[in-house]
Amino acid sequence: MYWLPRDQVRLLVNRLAESYAVYGPRRDEVSGEVVFDRLEYLERLDLQAAIPYNPPKHALLPQYEEILKYLYQKQSRKVTIEKISKVEPKALVGLRACDLNGILCLDRFFLGQEFVDEVYLEHRQKLFIISNTCVRPFPQCFCVCTDSGPAAGEGFDLDLTLAGQGYLVQVGSMKGQKLVEELGLREAGPEAQNLREKIVAESVSSFDNFALENKAWISRATNRLTTGFIKPEVWEYIGNQCFECGACSFVCPTCSCFNVEDVNRVDGPTDRVRTWDSCSFEGYTKMAGDHNPRKPVEDRRNKRFFCKLSYSQSKKYLRPGCVGCGRCARVCPGDIGLPNVVTYIRREITGE
Amino acid sequence: MSYYRGICNFCGTGCGHLLQVEGNRVRGVYPLPGHPLSRGRLCVRGWHIHELLQTEERITRPLIREGNSFRPVSYDEAIDFTASRLKTFSGSELAFLGSPRASNEENYLFGKFARAVMKSNNLSLTSDAGLEESARILLEGCGFPAMTGSLSALRQADFILVVGGDLTKQNPIIASEIHFARRSGAFVATISPRKTQMARLSQQHLRPNPGTIWLLLEALARALQTEGLVLIDNLEERVENARQYLEYLDSLDLKQASALTGVEEQEIIRLARKFYESKSAYAFYPVGIQSLDRRSISALLNLFLLAGKLDRPAGGICPVTGISNLLGSLDMGVSPAFLPGYFPADDEASWKRLEELWQVRLDRKPGKSAAACLQEDQSLKALLVVDHDEEIIRHVNRIKELEFVVYFGAYQNAFASLATVIFPRLNYIEGDGTYTNSERRVQLSQKKVEPPAGIKPMWEILSRLASALGQPWPYKSAEEIMAEISRVVPQYSGLSHEKLRASLGLRWPVDDRHPGGTEFPLAEETGRRFKFVFEGSADRRQNLHSGEAGRFPFKLVVGRSNYFWHQNSVMKRTFIPKREYNALLLLYPGGFVEVSEEDARALGLREKQPVRIVSEAAELKLATRISPDILPGMLYIPYFIEEMIPGFLHRQVSELEKNEEFFLPVRLEKVE
Ligand code: SF4
Ligand code: SF4
Ligand code: SF4
Ligand code: SF4
Repeated sequence: MYWLPRDQVRLLVNRLAESYAVYGPRRDEVSGEVVFDRLEYLERLDLQAAIPYNPPKHALLPQYEEILKYLYQKQSRKVTIEKISKVEPKALVGLRACDLNGILCLDRFFLGQEFVDEVYLEHRQKLFIISNTCVRPFPQCFCVCTDSGPAAGEGFDLDLTLAGQGYLVQVGSMKGQKLVEELGLREAGPEAQNLREKIVAESVSSFDNFALENKAWISRATNRLTTGFIKPEVWEYIGNQCFECGACSFVCPTCSCFNVEDVNRVDGPTDRVRTWDSCSFEGYTKMAGDHNPRKPVEDRRNKRFFCKLSYSQSKKYLRPGCVGCGRCARVCPGDIGLPNVVTYIRREITGE
Repeated sequence: MSYYRGICNFCGTGCGHLLQVEGNRVRGVYPLPGHPLSRGRLCVRGWHIHELLQTEERITRPLIREGNSFRPVSYDEAIDFTASRLKTFSGSELAFLGSPRASNEENYLFGKFARAVMKSNNLSLTSDAGLEESARILLEGCGFPAMTGSLSALRQADFILVVGGDLTKQNPIIASEIHFARRSGAFVATISPRKTQMARLSQQHLRPNPGTIWLLLEALARALQTEGLVLIDNLEERVENARQYLEYLDSLDLKQASALTGVEEQEIIRLARKFYESKSAYAFYPVGIQSLDRRSISALLNLFLLAGKLDRPAGGICPVTGISNLLGSLDMGVSPAFLPGYFPADDEASWKRLEELWQVRLDRKPGKSAAACLQEDQSLKALLVVDHDEEIIRHVNRIKELEFVVYFGAYQNAFASLATVIFPRLNYIEGDGTYTNSERRVQLSQKKVEPPAGIKPMWEILSRLASALGQPWPYKSAEEIMAEISRVVPQYSGLSHEKLRASLGLRWPVDDRHPGGTEFPLAEETGRRFKFVFEGSADRRQNLHSGEAGRFPFKLVVGRSNYFWHQNSVMKRTFIPKREYNALLLLYPGGFVEVSEEDARALGLREKQPVRIVSEAAELKLATRISPDILPGMLYIPYFIEEMIPGFLHRQVSELEKNEEFFLPVRLEKVE
């Protein structure tokens, strides 16, 4: 482990900016809220800021991305296809552990199956990741229940943990090691590992009671979800409150639904575009013959939470599909969100 | 690729968002967490606004018609040509159709161009006239023309009544606030014939027969009276014409009202009690897309006055605007009834004041809405239109007959093909402008990208036209126009772009006494005066469209609210919202009529079975869609995209689409 004095974070970031577009948490001046964004001004990076309202997903899976371009020539009946490659190297600085785990889930979806998604792969290969331990959790967090925080275990190039006047720096890759050496960081000493463990343990113990209580319930909910032992009335209750906005999928660091569209450009060729999508939309599943037009809403809700918590999905991701970031609860017009769903399932079990 | 703060421009909720911009293109959108109203939420439309803002189907150059095609021309040529043609018309031969999606600055200038330069008072908006009607009633009844409550304080409410439409579809984030209020303890009741999602999220749902919402609201007032829940003594001091109104109410028989509306008397009394007991009561109704009707708005206002709920800094009457800047457009006086700032057009003092401010002589001849001109005015010769983004164009044939049509538009659409001259328009993120949401919140939307092909802002084109027509206008930016608005519109007197840049919107009135805006305008006594709004004491049954129960037993309602995805020519340029409304079309390619489960059973109808709908005047064939959401005896046809509008409805639609209180008596026949 290495030691990075607080006032040298600037050096680290400036160094990264030489070869990467730097992304990180910053505060919006007027609303005061935290956004994970490409930093136009590096000094706006705020490593102390709360968990950003948006996950870093957009850096790997943009909301709207041209993936290829093709041109069909009528006369010659020829099609020319061209890969659009605009992927720039990016450094994600100050990722929270939940969000890093979110990326690892996306990796398994896009890279870990039969077909490797080449566009995603290119984004992924050009990433430099610096995670940042949560020395205290934020009110919406429950990563302790989903085994995804408050500190990162794997997947980073460098990992920071604030300890007094500086950061303990853990190295996770060759790239990371190289950077540390270039910056000439000094070793943090023999006690560093223990110190980090102590800091993390303190953080874990300061989670909201709600998160701690829910810890056991999340696994019971997982169980129920997997075995289908949840009464239809629970889903109906949840379905009635769903506004079908798609937000829970868009803001989830692990949601990977996408849509593909062909857009004809005025200058001739056609762009093939990939955009975010959500299983909460009727058109996504294209249910045919909806006799009861309401029922599918519940089914779609059911599907998303199944995807986040069931065993069968966990097997795919090698971890639960939910990383406990609490974002889906904050953006939901219906006040649903994963924590509430767990509460409803819990109420059903206990009959409260 | 970075995120910039902005506001959603679809509906009148005015949610805050972050637009992700890369170079000169919008690539994504995300909700703005700190926004005082939307608090980090967006609806499905708002989540896809970047798809619309990506489209290349723009109008990028001025065009002049030549025969059946258009010739691209320079701005100079288009402006000279337009000015020379406009010179040949008198004010009453012209009509102006403003856009509720355009900014306050654009609408203000458009209105000034009509009134001050062209001396025409035929000035209105492309949306329905419900907001104007609502403003007139509220001005008469409480002295304030717009929402009297506060959306950002809604979670403290203990009683919320939602009347008509379906807010979860029209203004989803306002509906979401109501839902959150309920979850923190408010009692929520919905009055609508349809079982909407809003109704499902309510503790009480009253389902009056189509056409009887106003009667149900009067019955609620009557129930307050018969249950002894009104402080009669003090009422006459509080409200101007209390005695006459109470007499009017006396003539209402609750039992009869219950029979006519189809709502149980006990249900009415239960709701009246809840209302009476509340400390912070809100009422919501839709305006702009398919507004609540005049009588129901008056009855709702009277109900609140009777219970003494309006003069406290909690709660209020809340018209909810269906289109982004609908309220602002009316604030700017794009209306035959009001000059900028709600000065009535039938009052000489309003005109004198405006002449003074504008330093120009104005014509007093009463104006009409553009729709009324098209419908009934044979002397109409020319029309100026801003962003007509409806797919369905009424009065097409009349418009084709006109001598001269000017169109200002951002996107290519069916309306553009009717024009003589077309001016391209910026979309809302290509220039600065302010937009006023339902709760009077004026928000500044700042320029985020450069317009394609050097498109000029509308204020610049209007200024050059005005100069060419002999009134040199000095405007150099939208900011300067706002500076003028703050002198002309008293409710905006304390506003400037500079002030708005540092805020997330301020609610008008913003003036010397309220520099930070006003949350509850009726909490202060200044300007407040209460008066019941009603029309004599007619037999209430006469006002009910009874139909011919024998031959035409069904009430056919044409609805715009339930499947409404915003002006379709806008939505068609998105991917996901388009796909979502197409999902229904895929299932019912020829359109559908909704039939209740009970009626379907009685008539032996299956899902998708073809049926014939027969009215006095015509008939049509559609597929059946069996719906648990509508009342027996009622039929519902969504009016939202061309393919789904059966031809014969076109003719009746101007009546039917006024609001969901209008219906057509029809008969339903099974087609084997
Ligand atoms: S969920 Fe856990 S890892 Fe994520 S921000 Fe909160 S505490 Fe940190
Ligand atoms: S965020 Fe909430 S309302 Fe929106 S789709 Fe998800 S569950 Fe439904
Ligand atoms: S399901 Fe919700 S809480 Fe879990 S990772 Fe996704 S957004 Fe975060
Ligand atoms: S509620 Fe209206 S303003 Fe808000 S996101 Fe939806 S369309 Fe936009």
